[in-house]
Parts: sequence; C-alpha cells; structure tokens
Amino acid sequence: MTPFPALDIIKSLKSVGQPLKRKEDERLITGKGRFTDDFSMPGQVWAAMVRSPHPHARIVSIDGSAAMEMDGVLGVFTGADALADGLGQIPHNPVPSTNFDVKLTGRGGTPVYIGEHYLLPADRARYVGEAVAMVVAETRQQAYSAAEAVMVEYEELDWVSESRVACEPGAPKLWDTMDDNVLVDATFGDIEGTDAAFAKAANVVEMTWVIPRVTGVPMEPRAALGSYDAETQRYTLYAGSGGAVRQKHELAKVMGVEPAAVRVLSFDVGGNFGTRNRAYVEFGLVMWASKKLGRPVKFRAERSESFLTDYQGRDLVSKVELALDADGKFLAMRADNLSNVGARCVSLSPLSKGSGLITGSYDIPVATLRSRATYSNTMPTQAYRSSGRPEVCFAIERLIDKAARELGYDRLELRRKNLVSPEQMPYRNAVDSLYDSGEYEKNMDRLLEIGDWAGSAARRADATKRGKLFGLGFANYVESSIGSPKERADIIVHTDKGIEVVIGTQPAGQGHETSFAQVMADMLGVPFDDVTITLGDTDVVTAGGGTHSGRSMRHASTVMALAAQDLVDKATGIAAELLEVPADTISFADGLFGVPGTNRTLGWRELAVAAAEKSPEGLRVRRDNEMHQPVFPNGAGMCEVEIDPETGGIDITRYVTVDDVGRCINPLIVHGQTHGGIAMGVGQALWEGFPIDQGSGQPLAGSFTDYGMPRSDNMPSFICEIAEVHSPTNPFGVKAGGEGGTTPALAIIMSAIEDALLPLGVIEIEMPATPLKIWSAIQTLRAGQNAGENA
Amino acid sequence: MLTVSMTVNGEPVSRDVEDSTLLVEYLREALGLTGTHVGCDTTQCGCCTIHIDGISSKSCTVLAAQVEGRSITTIEGLGKDGQLHPMQEAFRTCHGLQCGFCTPGQIMAGAELVRTWEGPLDEHQVREEMEGNLCRCTGYHNIVKAILSVHAETRGKVDA
Amino acid sequence: MYPFIYRRPKSIADAVKLFEAGEDASYISGGHTLLPTLKARLAAPTDMIDLAALPEMKGIEETDGGILIRGGTVHADVASSPLVQAKLPVLAGLAGSIGDRHVRHRGTIGGSVANNDPAADYPSAVLGLNATVITDRRRIAADDYFTGLYETCRENGEIVTGVEFPIPLSAGYAKFRNLASRYSLAATFVVRTEAGVRVAVTGAYNRGVSRPTHFEQALDADFSPEALDTLEIDPEDMLSDPAATAAYRANLVKTLARRAVARQGVVQTFK
Repeated sequence: MTPFPALDIIKSLKSVGQPLKRKEDERLITGKGRFTDDFSMPGQVWAAMVRSPHPHARIVSIDGSAAMEMDGVLGVFTGADALADGLGQIPHNPVPSTNFDVKLTGRGGTPVYIGEHYLLPADRARYVGEAVAMVVAETRQQAYSAAEAVMVEYEELDWVSESRVACEPGAPKLWDTMDDNVLVDATFGDIEGTDAAFAKAANVVEMTWVIPRVTGVPMEPRAALGSYDAETQRYTLYAGSGGAVRQKHELAKVMGVEPAAVRVLSFDVGGNFGTRNRAYVEFGLVMWASKKLGRPVKFRAERSESFLTDYQGRDLVSKVELALDADGKFLAMRADNLSNVGARCVSLSPLSKGSGLITGSYDIPVATLRSRATYSNTMPTQAYRSSGRPEVCFAIERLIDKAARELGYDRLELRRKNLVSPEQMPYRNAVDSLYDSGEYEKNMDRLLEIGDWAGSAARRADATKRGKLFGLGFANYVESSIGSPKERADIIVHTDKGIEVVIGTQPAGQGHETSFAQVMADMLGVPFDDVTITLGDTDVVTAGGGTHSGRSMRHASTVMALAAQDLVDKATGIAAELLEVPADTISFADGLFGVPGTNRTLGWRELAVAAAEKSPEGLRVRRDNEMHQPVFPNGAGMCEVEIDPETGGIDITRYVTVDDVGRCINPLIVHGQTHGGIAMGVGQALWEGFPIDQGSGQPLAGSFTDYGMPRSDNMPSFICEIAEVHSPTNPFGVKAGGEGGTTPALAIIMSAIEDALLPLGVIEIEMPATPLKIWSAIQTLRAGQNAGENA
Repeated sequence: MLTVSMTVNGEPVSRDVEDSTLLVEYLREALGLTGTHVGCDTTQCGCCTIHIDGISSKSCTVLAAQVEGRSITTIEGLGKDGQLHPMQEAFRTCHGLQCGFCTPGQIMAGAELVRTWEGPLDEHQVREEMEGNLCRCTGYHNIVKAILSVHAETRGKVDA
Repeated sequence: MYPFIYRRPKSIADAVKLFEAGEDASYISGGHTLLPTLKARLAAPTDMIDLAALPEMKGIEETDGGILIRGGTVHADVASSPLVQAKLPVLAGLAGSIGDRHVRHRGTIGGSVANNDPAADYPSAVLGLNATVITDRRRIAADDYFTGLYETCRENGEIVTGVEFPIPLSAGYAKFRNLASRYSLAATFVVRTEAGVRVAVTGAYNRGVSRPTHFEQALDADFSPEALDTLEIDPEDMLSDPAATAAYRANLVKTLARRAVARQGVVQTFK
C-alpha cells in the first residue's frame, strides 16, 4: 500500500477537529428544511401505485376503465404501456466493481444474472407490494381511491421467501432463464491451506447464524416530483436520494435521453441509511407521467408503502467454522454466506462487503469463503447501514464467544491473543482485504476502562438481588469503507459572498455542509463562516459519487485538498501579477498571499475581484479525483442488560464504545453518527424484523404497530469515545465514522443476552430477541434443567 | 368543503378545504407551512407534532375542522421576534438533529414538555415523555440532553 | 381517507339526531382510534359527527357514586386531575400511561370506552372498579357493558357521555406493553372493594376485557401474590399473535396480577 503523499495545503488545522455547531441546523430547526414533499409545482397532479397483493403472480390483464371513470383521474399506466413507450430498465449496476471489492460471480465464474427491473413489470409481479400500474389524478386522495378500482387479473404462481429454501434446486423460480434462483456462487481463499489447517487443529467450533431482514425506516417516506418541459425537452425531478448525479444518469437511461436532458434535485433528505442508494420505480414513473400528461406529477409513499417497498436490508445466513490450536490460537476459518437478494438484483454490496471481512479483527492465516446470493419473492435488498459488515462481525464475534465457552477460555483473553497487531499493519487478511491501520488491542483496553468492565461484577450482584438476570456483552469490530471511487470538487471564490464549494456527495444528516466547510476553511485560511457547501442540484453538481459506505469525508476531503492546492496555485499567479513579482516569491499563509519580508498581502476577495476583471469565470477551480484504496474503521463495544425473567423484558443499562474513525473532523457530528448507528444495530437485535407469513407469503410488519423501533424510552444514554489512528491512504488520514456504531451492535447485544441466560444454560435466540423469545428461551432452559435433574 | 378558520403562529387564517382535511394537510398545503412533517400513517412517529393552544398534539390525527377557532403553533412560529426558542437553540448546541425530518416534532414536543412539566425532570422522565417522537438518526442521546439542558436553564419558565 | 361530511353538533341530543340522519355516520372524539382507521381505508363513514368540543362532555366531578368523568375528558386531564389523584390515584396513573404524551392530549375516555379496543387500558379500569357507563340514554353496569372483542352493548348511535367510578378500598394496575405498538399485550387491574376482590384483564383474553374469577376467589381468601401461585390462566382463552403467544400471554396475566396485588396504589408499566 503506497501511502498518500503529504499535501502542503494541510497545515494549521483550526476548524478541523472542533465540535462546531452545524450550518444546516438553522433551516432545519426553524421549519425551513427542503425535503422532497415540501416542493410543489403549479398544476401538479398526484400518482398512486397499484400494488401486487401476491408474492408471485403472472399479470394476465390490467383493466383501468373503472378507475378512469372516477373523479379527477387523468390516466392509468401499465408495464405494457411503458414498454410501448420504449422506457428502459433501471441500470442498478448491482455487482460491486471497484478495484478492491470482492469479485462476486455466478457458478463457475459465470457473470451474475441480474434479472430485469423495468419501472412497471409487464410479465409478473415478483413480490408483495410490487407496483404493477400507476394511476394519476388531480388529488392524492383521488389517485389512491382510483388505484383501488384498477382491476388486475393475476395468475398466482408458487412462491418462496426464505433464502435457504429459495436456493435449493426445484424452488419456485424468479427468472425463467436461470436454472435456479442462485445468481452468485463464488468461492474465495485458500481451500487447500484451510483444509490442512482444519485437519490438524486441536479444536473446531462451528455455528450457523441467521441475521434476519430488517428495513431502514428513514423518517422521511420516499417521494418524487417529476415534470417535463416540452420546450426544452428536459425532465426535472425532485427526489431525495443517496446521490443525485448517479440517479440523473440512471433515469436518463430509463427515459432514453441524454443525461443533459435530466435535472435531479435532492436537497434535504430525511435519512438514507442505504434505502435511497438506488433509484425507485416511482422516480421514473412520475417523470414519464409528467411528459405524457403535460403536468408535474408528484408521488409520496405512505409509511405502509415504505415498509412494504423500501429497499430492505440484511437477510444473511452464515455458516462459520473456526479452527484453533491447543492454546487457543486461531488457525483457519470457513464461512458459507447466503444472501437473500429479493426479487430483483439491486445491489450485491452487502454480500460483497461482508465477504471481505469474515475474519474480523483477528489474525486468521487462512480462510475459505463461499459467497452465494439467491433470488426470492421478497422485496429487493441492498446496502443498509454498514452493508454486510454487521452480519459478518456478528458471525465471527459470536463464534468466538461459542469457542470460549466450549473450550473454557475467557472470551476477552481468547480475543486478545488473536487480534491483529499494529506491527502487522497494513494487514492483508485471509480473503485479501488490506487493513490500512489500527490499534485494536489498545482500543479494546480503553473500552474496558471507560466502560468499567471490572465493575460489572458488582452491578451483576445488585441486579441479581433485584430478581433480574444480568448480562454483559462485548464485541470487537473492523469494518470497511470503499465506496464509489470518483469525486469532484469545484471551488469558487466569490467577490461578494465568500467561498463556495460544489461537491457530489449527498448527505442525509451527516452534516457535510459543516464538516466540509471546516476542512476547506482550514486549507484556505478563512473563517469557517465564510465557506458554503453546495450539494444536490445536478445542474450545479456535475459529478460526484454520492454518499454511502462511509466514503464521503474521505473522498471529499481529498479532492477538496487537491482542488485547494490548485486554487492556491492559481491565486498565486494572480497575486504575482498584481504585486508585480515572480510567482515563486509569493507565499501563502493564514489566508493571505504575500511576499515575505514585505507588508504587501492580498486576500481571497481581492484576488477574486482581480480575476473577475479578467474573465467571467473568475477565480475558481475544478478538480477530479479517483481513489480506490479502502480504509478500515474499527473499535470495540460493550453493554450491560437486565432481563426480567418473568416477562422476558429487557433493559439496556450501559452501552459503551471506542471507535477508530481515523482523523475526526467534527467530534459532535461523529459522536452523533455513532449514537444513531448504535441504535440501528440495537434495533435489529431487539425489536426490528420483517417476517413473512409462510402460509400466505404476506409480510407481517407493515406499520409501526408491528415493526418495533428504537425509541427514547428503550435506548440508554451512551459512553462513546473516538480514537484517531490516521489512515495512510488519504491526506487527512480519514477513515469513516458513520457505520462503526452499527457494526458490532448486533453481537454486543446478543452476547449480553447469552451471558444473562448462561446460569440457566445456552440456547440460541434468533434476532430480534423480543421479550416473547427471551421468555420462551428461559422456559426451555428451565425445562431442560428440570429434565436434567429428574433424569 | 368547509371554511376552516384558526390562528396559526399568531396570525388569523381562513381557508376552504375538504371536510376530511387533516390539520397537517391544512398547515402544509393550504398554508404552505412545510416545517411540520408527515412520517407515518398510524399516528406513531410524532413528526407532525404541533401545539394546539400550547398543548402538544399530532397534527396528522386531528381534523382541521376540529380546531376551528383555536390557536395553533408550528415550528415556524415557535421563536419570537426573530429569536430562536431555547429548545431550538439547545437542539443545535447539543447536536440533537441530523437529517432534520423528525426535528420540528421533537422540538415542539420538547418545548411543551419543559413548559408544562411541574417539578424536577430527570433523564428517565424525559425518555418516557418523548416516546411518541421517533428519530432514526440520533439514537436519542443528544435529544434527551437538549431537553434536559433547557429545563435546567429555564426551569420551565419559557412561553411556548 | 375517503371523503365525508363533517358535522359539529350543538349538544348531545343534536349529535344523536345528526347521527340518525346520516347515511352511515360515525362519531369522532379524540380521533386517535378513528382517524388511523380511516387513513388505512378500513372504514368510510359518510358523516363525521364531532363530539370533542361539546361542553356537556367535559369535566371531572365528585358524586355520591364516586368520581364522574365525562366522556370528552382527555386522558391527560384525568392523569393530572387533583381530584382523581387524591381519590383514585391508580386511575390517574392508568390514564397517564395510555399511548404517548401527545395521544393523551387528545384521546378521550368516552372514545376508549365506546370502542372497547381489546388492548385499551380504560376497559380494565371500568370493569375492575365496577364502574357505571353512562350514555345519552341510560346507565349501564360494567359487567353488562363489555360483551366481546371490540363489542359493547351500546345501540347504534348511543353516545358514552361519562363513566362513574366508585372509590375502592385499594387498586393496582400492572401492564406489559407490545414493544412496537405500545398497546398492552396484557394488563391487569386488581381492586379491593367492600364486596370483594375484582380482577379485570385487558390485552389478553380472546373475548375482550375479562375477569378471571378464580383469581378473584383466591384473592378474596388471601390478598397476596402467593395466593395465585397454584392457579393458571388457560391459554385457550388467550389471544395469540406473532408478538405474544397464548402461553406467553397467560404467563403475563398471572405475573402482572401478582405484581398488581403486591403493589396496590400504583401503576406499574413493564416492557
């Protein structure tokens, strides 16, 4: 790994590292946010979707005549209509393909069959809730009422929802051209070496873990407002997303036009977490309808539609085996990971990202991994908060817990003796991921200190006195940040309103307007207040990778640093002209250009004015950057829980983390990301789940009535500390801070529950570990104990 | 159709709307006050929280017609005379918001809680009283901090 | 929601007239049960008759029979009423445990009792305390009022104008909340009266709010948690759903009854 060369532009950091209050808050706390549904256009009308009630059904016919008779209805559109109009498929580009992504393939190295994704299917509905037609009417109420009147004749087909059934030969098939539903089946690692290590191992531990499906639940339901200007022949789309530039290009392909004919505006986005990383059919549908009807068309999902048809997360089955020597040293690992892609292949990111991290924080010399993905009649899945990493972290951390328990080791000591050490960095793991930097044991020790691990025995005794079962949970984690490799920054020095940076990331709460301004302010030597960040309008933001996979600060700070360097060079030239000295006598410091030894200095505004006099472009630069080297945020976490054995009710009484995010630009923001990330992981462990009724194929959690959420009264306050081990891969040394809270949380909580029940015995509880499941587990263990006693 | 009149953020307003118009629709669509948000369809998320005569309510579960003649405060009207309300300030200072979508509801709920709560207010009580306001971004830690800080500073003496 | 005509009556009598004149009318009070139902497009009333602002429907007062709470009184007002806190604190506590803070600012006792949601809190207090349901046309004893899941003996259009609660010797309420909806998976209201112990259970029975009389008999003989040790709740009588099996609910009913007995005078909320 070649470290990124140091950049002169990064010198004195005044704003960077400070917990500055956010710029974006001013509008958000006063109700002036600009979320998609806040936009309206004159003459706009509303779209509603006709959704399949069946998990798998051939569309025999669609009769919209009754709907067309209803008040306000302007049109009924089907998949056949879309094909007739030449609309294309959404080019999801689901196979991760950056240089360092694990290369997933079909069986025998064949290409992955990615199926089809038209805006509306003409052949079959492949999951409950799939839109098969669109109704447009004057009001939203009218559109939804009319959607109920569209008569769709279906021929129901056999369906399958569970991945372990769907991947078997003979399971109901989603795609006719495939032999079965398995689109990815690839094996990685050193098979011979692994087999040899297992053969001579003193001990082998194995387990099959299920990390069930959840859904992202951003608080803003997805929405889109599309309009078509017949004169300019341009589409305009307001739609909150994870990357307006990407969606502009994708939707242009769908509509069959050049990208320049599409403008996407994504301003304030009410949470993403991965759910908005790919375009939704409604985005293209409102664009299409607006052209056909000559009026802007708006769509806003009901929360029930969000539950049913937001791109969902997780749903992995992982069979893992660990080989150890007689002293507890990890010798080898095997993993067999099966990912449920759902009905359409939107993104294989979770399977791919997870594949690179199966060995976690530990020095495991050889491993073999089989990665499979299967189609099923469920909502398509894609990246969701730490895409793929919580799953594999759970698998290895919980397997180590099992090994410790069965082989008689202390679970911390067994981990400690196998951690990757700082001396081994950069460390290439057994599935070829190159960890850039990290001090794993130091973070673990710090975590145990600030979490008062040593004091837990006393807290356990106290809880026991109060009739509660006390559980102590722990996990290490390492996760990866790869992401789209390209980013672009424009820096414009205005003559009258400070410095503007245009960049192609897409925040949904991560505070880019603030943290990016901190970075730029320090590099250009200007006050933080003088820098504004422009995002989200593709007519202004011409290129960019969006926000996902923790990529934003790393890519943005790097391209901004390179652009700032270019800008300083350009400004130096202008200063030299104005001061009538050679350019190499000019130095730049603290935001001023001058000749050392003289008192003649020029500031940014003066140079901008001078530049504006010479050309309309003024003082500005554009810089593109491409970076492929991933980084590996890491850390450790612990929690304490108290379980009421009579009800199964569980209380989290302590939750502590140490997170190595690389350089921390704004600790206020990074802590916030950790907090939110923890809540998402805890939510999956305890309350969230998207079960499918095996009799009918119907999803059972369609609203907050059934889908449990982290709330203020079931979450604890946290103790979180940031560790900064700078990454050599980029000039600021940034790793990422957005997903480390989630990555170990599943393991931390489930290990705590296991610890709490240990006096009664060991029993696997599948997430979410609801009170019902915990109580039932206790009953089973007690019955087992009684049986044992009576035997 | 009905004519529904009320006072919103101190201003009298009157609009002709469908009988079934919800208060949140009246605010967002009839009045263009888009600061109040719709996050769910089962009255469980709290993004739509506003004040009716100073008392917190979910505007998605009130018919506009039901508050004829009443005084409504939305996030746009919480501050007075161009000054931010202490709860708005506290959310910013404590980083109690990220994407901002649930934020208006959280601030309105927090402001009403602090104004009307009698006696000491601890973390446990704040967490209980705020259970009706979902947030997916913050994990609630900083929201609770913000509310406790306002209570500590003002001991509930703020007009909301 | 499907469209409807909103009607604002001037009195209770006026409301009943408007109801009868409507094609398929519905009353609205706090709206926190009805409006979600309408938003889900599960009902389409033609007329929406608003009881919420009727002055006749507001107020809490002491009567010879105990405490009268008029049907339009919101939960928050019951929870904070000095009278209820003094005379029947568990009822105030129960009202203060309904839904969330914002729901309590709008939801009414009349709506709750009229609807008889199987997981609602008030029905257990009404049945447990042997309260009297007062309508626009009669007074109904609690034991006669609740007739099944979502069912009451109300006639079509009959309005619950108030509930009169007798003051017990002591009372206690213990509930266990669904982790998502926050409705009760089970809740028990345990009351000691001059005439004996009453136990009313909501959230759990498949026939709606019910009294496990074998519990009452045991507690009559010995008012202690241990008195219930050898008794069971029959899972056959319990609701069963993905959040809570019948066996689990049966366990909760017994556990919560013991806890309500052990701590009279307070509301205990578990989750």
